[in-house]
Amino acid sequence: MSEKPFFVGYLPAPGPLRTFLLTACILLISGLAGAGFLMGAAQDDPGPGAFRFDYGRQTVTGVVEMTPYPVIHVTEGNDRIKPGDSFMMTAGGKSGVDGRAMPLNGQLAQVSGIVLERGDLYMMQLRGGRNGIQAAEGDAPDITPEPQGRWKLAGEICDGKCLAGAMRPGRGLAHKACANLCLLGDVPPIFVSTQPVLGEEFLLVVGPDGTRLPREAYDHVAQFITAEGEITKHGDLLIWEIDVDTIEVTE
Amino acid sequence: MSVKYIPVQWNPNKWVYDAVMLAGVAAFLWVFLYLTPGALSHEWPINPQIHNARAFGACAFVMLTVILCIGPAARLDKRFLPLLYNRRHFGVMTAFVALTHAGYILNWYFAFSSSDKYVGLLYANSSFGQIAGFPFEIFGIFALVCLLILAATSHDFWLKFLTPPVWKRLHYLIYAAYFSVAAHVSLGILQDQQNHVFTVLFLLGAGAVIVLHLAAWMQERSEAAAKDGAWAEVAHVGDFQEGYAKIAKLATGDRVAVYLMEGKLSAISNACAHQNGPLGEGKIIDCLVTCPWHGFQYDVRNGRSPAPFTEKVPTYRIRVMGDMVEVHPDANPPGTYVEPVALPEPEPDLPEEGATT
Repeated sequence: MSEKPFFVGYLPAPGPLRTFLLTACILLISGLAGAGFLMGAAQDDPGPGAFRFDYGRQTVTGVVEMTPYPVIHVTEGNDRIKPGDSFMMTAGGKSGVDGRAMPLNGQLAQVSGIVLERGDLYMMQLRGGRNGIQAAEGDAPDITPEPQGRWKLAGEICDGKCLAGAMRPGRGLAHKACANLCLLGDVPPIFVSTQPVLGEEFLLVVGPDGTRLPREAYDHVAQFITAEGEITKHGDLLIWEIDVDTIEVTE
Repeated sequence: MSVKYIPVQWNPNKWVYDAVMLAGVAAFLWVFLYLTPGALSHEWPINPQIHNARAFGACAFVMLTVILCIGPAARLDKRFLPLLYNRRHFGVMTAFVALTHAGYILNWYFAFSSSDKYVGLLYANSSFGQIAGFPFEIFGIFALVCLLILAATSHDFWLKFLTPPVWKRLHYLIYAAYFSVAAHVSLGILQDQQNHVFTVLFLLGAGAVIVLHLAAWMQERSEAAAKDGAWAEVAHVGDFQEGYAKIAKLATGDRVAVYLMEGKLSAISNACAHQNGPLGEGKIIDCLVTCPWHGFQYDVRNGRSPAPFTEKVPTYRIRVMGDMVEVHPDANPPGTYVEPVALPEPEPDLPEEGATT
């Protein structure tokens, strides 16, 4: 039998073993670097949503509507936001602006903040306190909801803020806990339809009869589901009153 | 081997080992963090915090996979044994990398909320009754806790305090951690990926761990042929090599290392008193059995470490029956002297009738 090289930790490695170990070390380091590249380069596109700091701070006036999530229907816009636009509002972090918007429900208000944009989805993160939302002078026009009938939709419930670009990626099952935290903090929920509905991909999703998204629906956040409910149009925003009893998980 | 505790008993091999492992980890993270963003053609980049969290999470998974491959690889091919030498340091590195991953997740996904981020981590998703959308974070938490326990108890003090068998069993938590990481990944990021390169790499890594463990187990099983009777067969007289051992597996599951030193046979437990390292895979150096893992040494005749060290392992009685060396399965108390048995000359092969030379 030949003399086998034997490694003792506190002694120099035997010659024949040294070559093997050197090879193993080089393979290990290069293998880890290769794995890092393959795993890093295989990440999916997080989508086109983002905070639009490049637009600068936006200030517009419009009618506040609690749907029950706060929405503003613009009456006096600016270069970027036009009268007739409707968009959702949120505060910084995982918080909504319900407390500040509620007293102004149905009234004219001036809102100011940074826009989040993802395709047709528009949301404004308001500045703090009265700088973000305050009553404005003038008569508020009536916003009349337009019923669009009962629809069965397929898609995914997300929190509107992360989806709109506060986080990239801001949807999917790996993001579910974050989405739930946002919804618990009164950030408006959005339904992302797999097919356009009346020309829209994104709908504000609420509970029946103008209530908040029911807690039963939280288990299905970030899942692909089908469900039924009434759609109404508020300004240029579609609102879907989801019937949680009809939710079915799809593959 | 030591008679006192110091934080790390450094030697040149440990420096090289740690340098290689650190270089590997640094290479993985640098490539993932700084090289791959240029290769991704996204209109809007992934949030840096999420990118960092993914880099450290993926790195921790790969490190765990390497750690779990080293053990069976060393059993299948002894040349890998030096990779076992300082594996504890690599394990501690893994715990820190995993902790960094958790930090990024906690301070991004669970921050900015009115509720405490640790509370949010536990209650934000409570959909335990479903596979898709299952709160996979819980598996990550469990794995992290396991890794931190392993890292915290990796020092020789804990080995001595807990005793090697208990310490060894505690450190089997590495398998629980790995299964938990596999569940964490499977129910988390794998559910969302459209690009399946990561899925393939994940399956390859987990598959390598499983295949290597099965291969090592099957090899040991085939080597440990059933040996009935009070005395267990070890090997034929001609199979022994001066300075090396043959390993016998007893019916109790214990292993015995039978060494040939200066033409005489002696038997000691195969489990080193330090970390249960395989003494039978070691070698006689300076008349002492030397453990292949960390170099702990024992007098093969009485199982005692040379003074001033105090480690002891059990010894066994052996006999030679014809051409077969046998060991008695009852272990002597650790440190018991047993008179070595002279190894008879192997019988020469007789030429077959009619054969010419």
